[in-house]
Order: sequence, then structure tokens, then C-alpha cells
Amino acid sequence: MNKTTQRILNNSTLVLFAIVLLTFSILSHHFFSFQNFFNILVQASSLAIIATGMTFVLLTAGIDLSVGSIMFLAGVISGKLVVAGFPLWMACTLVLVIGVLFGLINGAFIFKAKVIPFIVTLATFYVGRGLGLFISETRAVNLPESFLKIGSTKFFGVPAPIIVMTIVIIAGHLVLTKTIFGKHLYAVGHDEVKSRKAGIPVDGLLLKVYIICGFCAALGGLVAIAQLGAISPTFGLQSEFMAIAASVLGGTSLFGGRGSIFPGTLIGVLLIQSIQNGLVMVNADPYLYTVITGGVIFLIVLIDSIRHLQQKKLKRLGIN
Amino acid sequence: MKSFFKGGYGKSSNILIYVCLIYYVLASLLAPGFFTMNNSWNILYNLLPLLVVAIGQTYVMITAGIDLSVTSIIAVCSIAGGYVMSSDTSIFSDPESIFFGILTMLLVGMVIGMVNGISVTKFGMPAFMVTLTTMMLFSGFAIWCTQSQNIYNLPEPFVNMSYSFFLGIPVPVFIGVFVLVLAYFLLNKTLFGEWIYAIGLNCEVAKISGVKVHRTLILVYMFSGFCAAVGAIFYTARLETGSPVMGQNILLDVIGAVVIGGTSLFGGKGKIIWTFFGALFMTLLDNSLNLIGLSFFLIMIVKGAVILAAAMLNTLKEKSLKTTA
Repeated sequence: MNKTTQRILNNSTLVLFAIVLLTFSILSHHFFSFQNFFNILVQASSLAIIATGMTFVLLTAGIDLSVGSIMFLAGVISGKLVVAGFPLWMACTLVLVIGVLFGLINGAFIFKAKVIPFIVTLATFYVGRGLGLFISETRAVNLPESFLKIGSTKFFGVPAPIIVMTIVIIAGHLVLTKTIFGKHLYAVGHDEVKSRKAGIPVDGLLLKVYIICGFCAALGGLVAIAQLGAISPTFGLQSEFMAIAASVLGGTSLFGGRGSIFPGTLIGVLLIQSIQNGLVMVNADPYLYTVITGGVIFLIVLIDSIRHLQQKKLKRLGIN
Repeated sequence: MKSFFKGGYGKSSNILIYVCLIYYVLASLLAPGFFTMNNSWNILYNLLPLLVVAIGQTYVMITAGIDLSVTSIIAVCSIAGGYVMSSDTSIFSDPESIFFGILTMLLVGMVIGMVNGISVTKFGMPAFMVTLTTMMLFSGFAIWCTQSQNIYNLPEPFVNMSYSFFLGIPVPVFIGVFVLVLAYFLLNKTLFGEWIYAIGLNCEVAKISGVKVHRTLILVYMFSGFCAAVGAIFYTARLETGSPVMGQNILLDVIGAVVIGGTSLFGGKGKIIWTFFGALFMTLLDNSLNLIGLSFFLIMIVKGAVILAAAMLNTLKEKSLKTTA
């Protein structure tokens, strides 16, 4: 294999990102504009925040399927409270507390009871959504104007969602790259047993990771509802899958120990959001959205896996 | 060590039988209308499709994989069969259309399973990502194909399948038992079954030992697709429509049934009979809570909690087995 193909394979997500941007720019002249890129960033902010939390979990070789339910439950509770006349800041704080609590429950079951993350978070996924539907009586919760105002507030011309997203991504990136906690995270993801032997407090670390994910889910949900203005019973459905897909597209491994928030996860999020934005721009059949998004994610995971197979082969040849 | 675990888990299936029995007695006493002929048929007809799909999932989980795409396979099979059979769209006349309809459903299920299997083996993609994306792809495809419309006017004999008898046994029971026996036979009495366990225990070792890993895995995913297609036949016949959102809500029940049965997500252990009781328990739970009049979201919460409890019991048992050993 020559060097150019190798390089293309190594940056498959970026190459595909470029192809997606190019395709939509040709198909629609509204797509390639500063205003639209700005829109994509605003739309992507919620997913980016959730995916940041998800990346932490994936790095420890775990998974959190309850993210969408946390978003939904937290949103419904805060919405109900605000409608009932509670002050906004109180509702927002409560939402974040609920997110942390859910993370705590997930983490506790995983490290205390030693149940695998997939099952724990699948269970909390159903418990969370069930509770949310129970509280909202399966009806949409309409939020007052004050909530929507947060979503459209601007600081120095930058919309609030983008600012929140930037803070979360920078914080996540710094925690992963500059702190001991981050280093431990990668170590645990690589090999939990050896990390334990090396004296890393694995249990506490796992607990923290799920709390971070729960917090990010609640925050991401808050950012999303501040833009939507209403919470439908399907709000947050499949968000966890989108977050996982974004992380994986950004190079995070489902088997732990490999991945980054910046640029990795951010690129994954922007890619997914660009596809969805572009499909709206070219007036595609709405029923096709999931098909195309699913197809693109499949393609990228496929390319990534082929690259791994090739590298393995090259390594074997080198050794022989 | 491995055979030791298998022995330990043999007991767990016994416990599950008692749990099912006790629950059945309790529900008969407490839930009005539970212990009636009518409701027993209801339980049976709810159990069958879930059982069949869960059997396919058990195969995949024994190989340490997971198949999230079963619900989308059910949806695609349902509309494909609907197109072939419905008198609005069918190119066949009545009796043949049922034959070709069922054939199409089974084929579609196996082809999607093959796509999953080939992606997992030949390209080395993680099973979770493969089946996640094929789930998005195919359920999106089903909705796009039909523009979210149901397909009506299925032929009478197909719709009446649930209520027709063959040799004195209802046809769905016949099909369900056939799949159950087939799955049991393949897993326990054939080389193919041994290879499935070998791959789940340690894929690398299996490969070195001469197990045809790729071919076995592709067949396993195809079998899961086949089982989902059979599930789609049950659902389509009972609802009398081909629906693009069919089966959307049963993923929890399927995975729950397998996990409650004690099949490990890490592969290498699992039995068809455990899955049978797991599916039975999920169905009993669903049915009795419905009869008490709990709303569907409360049932959702209860189911989630039950799955968590079952998984915790399994880990606890494993721990105690380890310490006593």
C-alpha cells in the first residue's frame, strides 16, 4: 500500500467530512455560507456536550445508554417546575443535580454491584424514560418564553449554546490531557486489571466518569430544550446512539483506552450535524435522514476497521 | 473453570423456573382475569414472537456479540412480506402469495443477518456499531419505503394463521416449538454449536484450533436474522398489517429475556432453555402488570428494575461461586 492511501485511511473521518461538505455545497448554494456554518455549530452544541461525557465513559471501555433518558427526565422535571412557577435558576440547577444523581446510580451499580455497564444503563434508560413519561403524562411540556430566551441570548455576538459547548469541550480536553485523572482514565481503559495492580483507584474513577456523563447529559438536554421550547415525549430518543456514533467517528474506541475529545469527538459531532443540516438544505425526504446518517456512520466505522486490519497485516509482515 | 461455571449456571436456570412458577401463582391470585383460558392464550401468543427473537439473540450473545438490529429486521420483514402478500400490491394470486410472502420475509431476515455477519467478520467491525448502524439504516429504510404507511389487505389464511390448527396444535405454537427444537439441536448436538461456544470463550484460541470462525459467525448472525423474520411473521399475522415500526419496542424485552436467563454478554455461556424461561418471565411480568392496570411507562420502569436485579443476582452468584471455589 502506498503512502497516500495510507494517509487517506488514517484521516478517514476528515476526508469524509470534506466530501460531505463538498457534496452539500454543490447541491445547495445556501449550504456553504458563514451563517449556515454558524447554524450548524448552534445545532451541534447539545450533541457535542453529550458526546463529551460519552467519550469519558467510552475511554474506560464502558458505555452509557441512559443518556437520552436523563436528558428527557431532567428536561421534563425542569419544565414542569418552571411552568409551576419556580425560578429558572432553581430548575436549571435541579436538572444538573438529577443528571449527577443518575450518573451516581449508574456508577454505583457498575462498581459496587459489578454489573456490566451495558445492562445497568439499559435498565436506567428504561427507568428514566418511564419516569419522564409518567411525570409528563406522555404529553408535550411547553416551556415559557424565559426558557427560550436563554437559548437565544448572545454574549459578544456569540450565542449562549456555542459558549457552553466551548467551555465543556475545553474543560473535557484539559481534564483528559493535563490531569492525572485523565491519564488514569486511559490506563483503566487499556487494562483495568493492570491499572488496579498499579494502584489506580479504579472504582472511584469509574464512579466519577459516569457522574461526568450524567452531568453532561443533563446539561446537553438543557441546551437542547432552551432551543426547542417544548419537550415532546420522544425528546432525547436515540441521543445516546448519536453521542456514541459521534465519539466513535472521532476515533474513540469502543474497547477503551483510545480517543480524544478535541479534535476527535468534536469532528464526529460536526460531521453528523453537517449531514443533518445539509439534508434539510437540499430538501431531502425527511424519511431518508436516518438512512443516510446511518449509512455514513457505517461507512466510517467500516473504513476504520479496514485500516486496523491493514495495520495488523503490515505489523505482522514487519515482524516476519 | 469454564465447565465449573456452566455447572453453576445450570442451577440458575432452576431458580428461574421457580421464580416463574411463584410469579404465576401470585399473579393468578392477585391479578384479576390472569388465570383464565382467554388470558393463557394471550400469554402464549405474546410469548412466542419474543421467544423466537430472543433465541436468535442468545446465539449472537454466546459468541460475545450483540444484535441490536433485530427490531429493524422485524420491521423490514413485515413490510417486505406485506408488499408481496397484500392484495393491493401482490403480483401473485392468493395461495401462492402467502408462500412467497413468508419466503421473502425469511430471506430478507437472513440477508440482513448476513450483512451484519460479514461486516463483523470480514471487516472486523465491532458488533455493537455494526448492528447499531444497520438498525438505523433498515428501520429508516422501512419507514422511507412505505412513507410511514401501514400495508393492509393481507390474505385471509395468513391473518387467520394464529387461530388455525395443525394436527390439533395451533400453527404458531407449532412454528415456535420447531424453532426452539431446531435452535436447541444446533447448539447442543452439532459441531456448529460447539464452535459457537468456542468462539465466545476465546476467539483467538478457537481460530488456532481450526474453528472456521468467519463462517460460523456469519451463520450465527444469519440465524438471528432468521429468528427475527419468524418473529415478524407472528407479529404481522396478529396485527393483520405490514408496519414499518413493528417491533420497535421489543428490544428491551429481547435483551432482557436473554440476560435474565443468565446468558453472559461476554460470550461463552448461555442456553436456549434459560432464554425460554427468561422470555416466559418477561411475558408474565408484562401481562400481569397490564392486567393490574399499570400504565405502560410504569411497566417500563418495573421491567428496567427487574433486569437490573437479575443481572445483579447473576454477578453475586458468580462471586459466591468464586469464593467457595
